[in-house]
Amino acid sequence: MFGQQLMSGLATGSLYALTAVAVVVVFRNTRTINLAQGDFAMIGAFLALVFLKKFELNYYVAIALTAVCVMGVGVLVERLVMRPLAKSDWLALFTATLGVYYILHGISGWIWGRDTKGFPVTFDPTPVHLFGTIVSEGHLVNMAWVTAIGVVLYVFFKYTKQGIAMRAITDDPDTAELMGIPVKFIVTLTWAMSGFLAAFAGILVAPIIYVAPEMMDEVLIKGYVAAVFGGLYSIPGAIIGALLIGVTENLAGGYLGAHYKSATPFVMIVVLLAFRPQGLFGIQHRREV
Amino acid sequence: MSDTATPTATVAAATNRAGVEALKARFGRQNWILSGVLFALLLIIPSLPFVEGWMASQASLIIIYIIAAQGVSILTGYTGLVTVGHGGFLAIGAYTSALMTQHLGTTLIPGIIAGGLMAAFIGMLLGLVFLRLAGAFMAIGTLGFAFFVGSVVNNVPIFEGRTGISLPPNSVFGLEIEDFGFYYVSVMVLLVTTLFVHSLVRSGVGRAFKALRDSEKAAESSGVNKLFFRTLSFSASAFITGIAGALNGNIVNYVSAEVYADIWYSVDILVAAIVGGSAMLFGPFLGGLFVVMVPFFLEELADFSFVLQGVVLITVLIFAPAGIADVIAAPFRNMRRRLMAAVSGGGGS
Repeated sequence: MFGQQLMSGLATGSLYALTAVAVVVVFRNTRTINLAQGDFAMIGAFLALVFLKKFELNYYVAIALTAVCVMGVGVLVERLVMRPLAKSDWLALFTATLGVYYILHGISGWIWGRDTKGFPVTFDPTPVHLFGTIVSEGHLVNMAWVTAIGVVLYVFFKYTKQGIAMRAITDDPDTAELMGIPVKFIVTLTWAMSGFLAAFAGILVAPIIYVAPEMMDEVLIKGYVAAVFGGLYSIPGAIIGALLIGVTENLAGGYLGAHYKSATPFVMIVVLLAFRPQGLFGIQHRREV
Repeated sequence: MSDTATPTATVAAATNRAGVEALKARFGRQNWILSGVLFALLLIIPSLPFVEGWMASQASLIIIYIIAAQGVSILTGYTGLVTVGHGGFLAIGAYTSALMTQHLGTTLIPGIIAGGLMAAFIGMLLGLVFLRLAGAFMAIGTLGFAFFVGSVVNNVPIFEGRTGISLPPNSVFGLEIEDFGFYYVSVMVLLVTTLFVHSLVRSGVGRAFKALRDSEKAAESSGVNKLFFRTLSFSASAFITGIAGALNGNIVNYVSAEVYADIWYSVDILVAAIVGGSAMLFGPFLGGLFVVMVPFFLEELADFSFVLQGVVLITVLIFAPAGIADVIAAPFRNMRRRLMAAVSGGGGS
């Protein structure tokens, strides 16, 4: 029972992780809590659906095309909305992403309608036995994808010029600019990356639930909680936070009853923030003044 | 009064100071008269012949949002703490009043007061718990609180979850009221909450709030007790929004988790406070109008209305970063400033 709950928890948590990491990447480079992160993913799921069903493309080709398109959405949002507001305080940036949320919600409802749609990729329903627990193939595939993305991110931030520039901006944007780092370009890149992560979040979540304008709302909220849990500045922190929330949520659902499942992450975050206002891996001096 | 000052200069400075004071008093009187006219209009308009019942209900709804946004403005505008969780206090106000009506048979006014007080109490506790939070952490923490309240009303039996609690028609002092009666009660409550916020932010307490907002460190080192004033701000803010919640439950005589477990109340109230201008007394009035009437006018456009709402919201943020009220007030403020400068600068030369 415990092992089983743990395994399902990790599977759910890995999906939250994609959103949590995107929230952290955008926040630490642009001070923006992006409320539209889930809608990027939702647009991704709809686009993937179009590529797979209407154009009957190969699964991997569809994924690649979706990723490119959603990265484009991220860049557009940065150019049209966030850049004119770049000098505003974080509250205005946060509210502006709410505006983006409305717009993307409206556009998808307008084009594709409000009713929920199934996602065509179905995995082999025969359960797989692993470490004495039963896992569905879908969950395993998702976890593999998320791990792969984690490795790509690690390599990006550790070894590429752009990744290192991004970290420099996180640490000290003014000095980074003085050192000749093209801050504006890196910020655009940051939004593209949030689109990239969102595309995968959408494609991986869609087969588990459904495709509809509001499909990502819950995942998004859990993603924020996970990001804050990890301290809002730390990518590993966000991943650990996401897995922890997935597991705790499943354990609470399994042992206390389904009623308590949805409340668990919020009780966790309220309690954590009461004792560690900077999150689990946050640094005290990073607090905004 | 130094010995070196020439007598004429001293006299001139004194008259100028008197002139400035007189001018300030005049501006103050003008503000009071304008506010008085506004409330008088709010009371007179419903008696015009073309006003129908549904308009009164719609107006009451706007007033509820104005009051809720006033609550948010105490915390976000004057104390500098962003809350994405005031829907939680709205729910607490609504459920307190509904449960009292259901189990104790109370009526509207005691329900409103109790709703506000209960929210103030929970707000005080939340202020203590979140004492050290700042910025985005506060936003997500309060969001967590709203969801927590939502799942409590969804799952704890006394709140009757999605079935909800149906309430008898409203009555005030033994008189049963309908849409127009409810509207007048709302206007009266709005008058009280506006006076409350006005006197709060102009008192020493309000100055302490603003000091904490502008620089927490500087405020603390000049002797502002952060623990006390932050908790007080949370409590006062929750009090006002709780009052709005009690009104919100009673306007439809029904509360249910279907409505109050939703995050959108929290978001709408915050948007009302920000768009209107959360550091100005007049801001929540415009913000409440904005969040109720923009969707109302765009409703027929269905999904496209979401797109327009988003565009309008972003446009306001870009062109009126301190809120619509600030843009409207700016020319008047400049005019008054010029008048003041003319009066005080005249004697110097």
